[in-house]
Amino acid sequence: MNKLHIVASIAILVAIALLVMSTKDISSYATFEIAERSQQRVKIVGNLDVTKDVSYDPENAPNYFTFNMLDANGISNKVILNEPKPRDFEMSESIVVSGKMEVEGFVADEILLKCPSKYKDEELALKKDS
Amino acid sequence: MPKIEYIGEHLWVGQIGHFAILLSFVAALFAAFSFYKAQKPGNKGWLSMGRWGFIIHAFGLFSIITTMLYAMYHRMYEYTYVQRQVSDDLPIYYLFSSFWQGQEGSFILWMFWHVILGFILIRTAHKWEPYVLATLSGVQTFLMTMLLGIYIPFTDNQKIGSNPFALIRDIMDAPIFNNADYLSIITGTGLNPLLQNYWMVIHPPVLFLGFASVTIPFCFAIAGLSSKLHNDWLRPAFKWATFSGFIYGLGILMGAAWAYEALSFGGYWAWDPVENSSLVPWLIGIAGIHTHLIARSTGRSIGSTYIYYGLAFIFVLYSTFLTRSGVLGDTSVHSFTEMGLENQLILFMLTFTAIPIYLYIKNRNSIPKVEKEEAIYSREFWMFIGAMVLLFSGVLMTVSTSLPVFNKIMLLFDSDYIGQVITDQMDHHNKYQLWIGVFIGILSSLSLLLRFKEFNWVSYKTKFLKSAGMILGLSALATFAVLPNLETTNWSHGVLLFSGFIAVITNLFHVFLFGKNNQARLASFLSHFGFGILILGILISGLNKKHISTNPFAQQGITADSKLDKVVTLIKERKFFLNDYWVTYESDTLEGNLRKFDISFAKKDENNNIIDSFKVRPNALYSNDFKKIETWNPSTKRYLHKDIFTQVSGYPAHLLDIEVAHQLEDSLNYVPYSLKIDEPFEHKDFTITLKGVNYQPILSENDSVKYDMGIGLRLEFLAKESAQNEIYRTEPALGLKNALVYQFPKSIDDLGIKIKVDDQLFSDVFQDEANLEYESIVMKEGEVITWKDYSITLNGFDRSPEHANYNKQEGDIALGGNLSIRKGEIESDITPIFIIRDSQQFSIKDFGTNIGIHARFSSIDPNSGDMTFALAEGNSTVVEYPIVIAEGVPRSDILVLEAQVFPGINLVWGGCLMMLFGFLASLFKQKKLDF
Repeated sequence: MNKLHIVASIAILVAIALLVMSTKDISSYATFEIAERSQQRVKIVGNLDVTKDVSYDPENAPNYFTFNMLDANGISNKVILNEPKPRDFEMSESIVVSGKMEVEGFVADEILLKCPSKYKDEELALKKDS
Repeated sequence: MPKIEYIGEHLWVGQIGHFAILLSFVAALFAAFSFYKAQKPGNKGWLSMGRWGFIIHAFGLFSIITTMLYAMYHRMYEYTYVQRQVSDDLPIYYLFSSFWQGQEGSFILWMFWHVILGFILIRTAHKWEPYVLATLSGVQTFLMTMLLGIYIPFTDNQKIGSNPFALIRDIMDAPIFNNADYLSIITGTGLNPLLQNYWMVIHPPVLFLGFASVTIPFCFAIAGLSSKLHNDWLRPAFKWATFSGFIYGLGILMGAAWAYEALSFGGYWAWDPVENSSLVPWLIGIAGIHTHLIARSTGRSIGSTYIYYGLAFIFVLYSTFLTRSGVLGDTSVHSFTEMGLENQLILFMLTFTAIPIYLYIKNRNSIPKVEKEEAIYSREFWMFIGAMVLLFSGVLMTVSTSLPVFNKIMLLFDSDYIGQVITDQMDHHNKYQLWIGVFIGILSSLSLLLRFKEFNWVSYKTKFLKSAGMILGLSALATFAVLPNLETTNWSHGVLLFSGFIAVITNLFHVFLFGKNNQARLASFLSHFGFGILILGILISGLNKKHISTNPFAQQGITADSKLDKVVTLIKERKFFLNDYWVTYESDTLEGNLRKFDISFAKKDENNNIIDSFKVRPNALYSNDFKKIETWNPSTKRYLHKDIFTQVSGYPAHLLDIEVAHQLEDSLNYVPYSLKIDEPFEHKDFTITLKGVNYQPILSENDSVKYDMGIGLRLEFLAKESAQNEIYRTEPALGLKNALVYQFPKSIDDLGIKIKVDDQLFSDVFQDEANLEYESIVMKEGEVITWKDYSITLNGFDRSPEHANYNKQEGDIALGGNLSIRKGEIESDITPIFIIRDSQQFSIKDFGTNIGIHARFSSIDPNSGDMTFALAEGNSTVVEYPIVIAEGVPRSDILVLEAQVFPGINLVWGGCLMMLFGFLASLFKQKKLDF
């Protein structure tokens, strides 16, 4: 067995070790219930709960944005984002938030919006005057 | 359903286009077959057939492009692709961007570059031409199937490819298509405003040329394997590999620069799946270049070079699959939606994986090998390891990025399977790729000190150890000097910094101290030195980037940890102190569809001297109808050692969207007040004084709309709470145009109020015609008469009079009488108009707003020169001026600012550019060699 084979085998072993290690970097999409129970940082996918208020006050609290989100089980929960309100928020089709459940609500540090701009194809744009 | 005869469609365009697709597809297939046949010696006939096939394929492709651009230019919305990419108001210079925005267009762009590269190969590849072009034509055949749009019979709407010339009424089933004239009511969706910038013009062509360039070393590798001329292909393929390294790298770099400039992803690299999957083939290609170099210098690693070039191309296909199949779903911000091409893409990938594997296994025994094992102290050994590390990096990235694919596969077996996602993408990749950076930094430099095919290690050893020791020592010193200035407690960052310095210092040493022929080493120096600089830049800009838009005093108590604050609210014309800078939102100006915000920054020393000041101008882009803000553009102040990036990340909702403004207006509670001139009115929060009436108020922002008349009230507000006793002056107004009254309300943001003039004031001041008592007077030109208390002069006539209420018509005889009316100090010039139209007489009244006189020009006696005017005094007895005030109105003079400092960001760009120049240097070094 030559040296390169040894190095290659070591590399493969390291790769396997890293992949095993990295399994703790992944998780499934959680729900608010799981977030509440686990008290861990989780990712939740859901939709905007349009029956409740979306609140952002740029005048007094530019770093505080709250809304209510329906998770995969249809449970609505308050989400707090310590960031300005993302652009086109109301237009988003689905929302992915990462964060932890706290007393005042689900505090997210990351938000990803899936915007229908990419899905606009399903509707036909009509001329304004018709 | 009866067949509808649609109006206004241009079906011939699509027919030409689709014919061109079929032609181009068949020609590519024919070319691939002919070139394959031409590989047998003495088959000149096949070679010429292959060339003709390729030329016809190219002709077909160019016809597709021309036809498509024609349809897009003429906004033929009957075609789905046109309807989805352009719109009536899309500027013409975005035509190409819209063209390659869509899935089909980007396939076409890719094929276009393959054709261009193919033509170069036909002229330059000599004996390799039939081999290389056969593979390339095969790739083109597969790519062309993506455009076919042919439905497979006996299946449920299964189709091969997506025809860009498909008619929208065939794709969609909507009631609108029952209307034969549907084209007159639909319009295009257009280009996403986020993509309407110059990057979208230059980035995709370069990146797709990069993708296309990976194919060529792959074609050569296949050529080498199938011809068994394992040594011969290395030379012609090398410049293609370096060209690919350069142009593909440039494409990725442009993407990074775009992301950084727009910064919607928070930096130049976000480890987004789409970004990763485009980086992996490049990394593997670079690994291939290194084993390629080993092969050319020592004859070893030819097998590995085959593998790397094969993998680079396969990973391009895999990246295509990931981005275009829709499998990434919500894990990426920029993937395409599903188009039903998944199976085709998988087949494409499998085919071009199977071919090299088959050829490799079949011919592996003929690959030349060097029997003697390479020495551990030879350069080739460590270069080989380096290439392996690059591959390793690519594999790690690919595995993580493929998680959604894994989820999909699991779902096939277990429909209850819950998909897994990476919780923190950035953290995950940074953690692992950091060590790749460390290894590459060390390997790429220390291996430079070693020699190929080391033959005399014993005597070279001392020199090597001396240099290595010196480099390690210097790097350690530099690391200890810099590390304390980095915002990190993670020791692995220190290790990476160390390896970055090793790369930088070794390469400097190598060129300036040991360099005997600098020219030849320039390529290696630039790319490896650049890599070292890139590492330093990544660390410095990544760890020391900082938000300066935080205001610890203002935010207390609102968020739990004010360190998390990224943005701050600015009020117009007020100074805010944020992290060493005095920041002022000075003004906003409307230029076309852009609202530009002037924000000034000033840094002062202890003695209050300004040591640094600059201005930024982020802006907002309105939609064409001005109803909402579509997108925001940041503004960056660049220094050599840092960038200060700014953007408006929040704005009052009622200024973002006119609908919200309407809702807000409806929710306001207006309370009426009645004011008299110069009599202060005491409100609980402020004192209001009416200082006067303005009959010539400024009504529209840029004076674009003309109003027939207007009235404004000059108001002064004195806040009772305010310690400075600040006086706010404002002038709400009413305007009249075509008998409609328009409101021009004013807000005082500091008081949170909005003031309107009551509509009633118009009829109080400007009475109905019916209530006026006109009196006739007769005058001659130049005459001065006295009427009531007024002195009236007829100064002369205007033969082409203009008045807001007068619509000139052909054949009108019109005469304006220029009257001067004076009463005491007040004087007013008015021009009532007398008109004869179709032998009927009209008059257009004029009104002296400041003097209150209504005047008509009633008749002319041509014989005597007597002019008859009718005058009436307006009711100037208005003493009470009605206004309405709403309280609790949100401010309109604020914006939320995000400002971030990126120190050392130019090291990132500089490092990357040096790496790219390294490839160029290598390319130019080879120019002497035959192409």
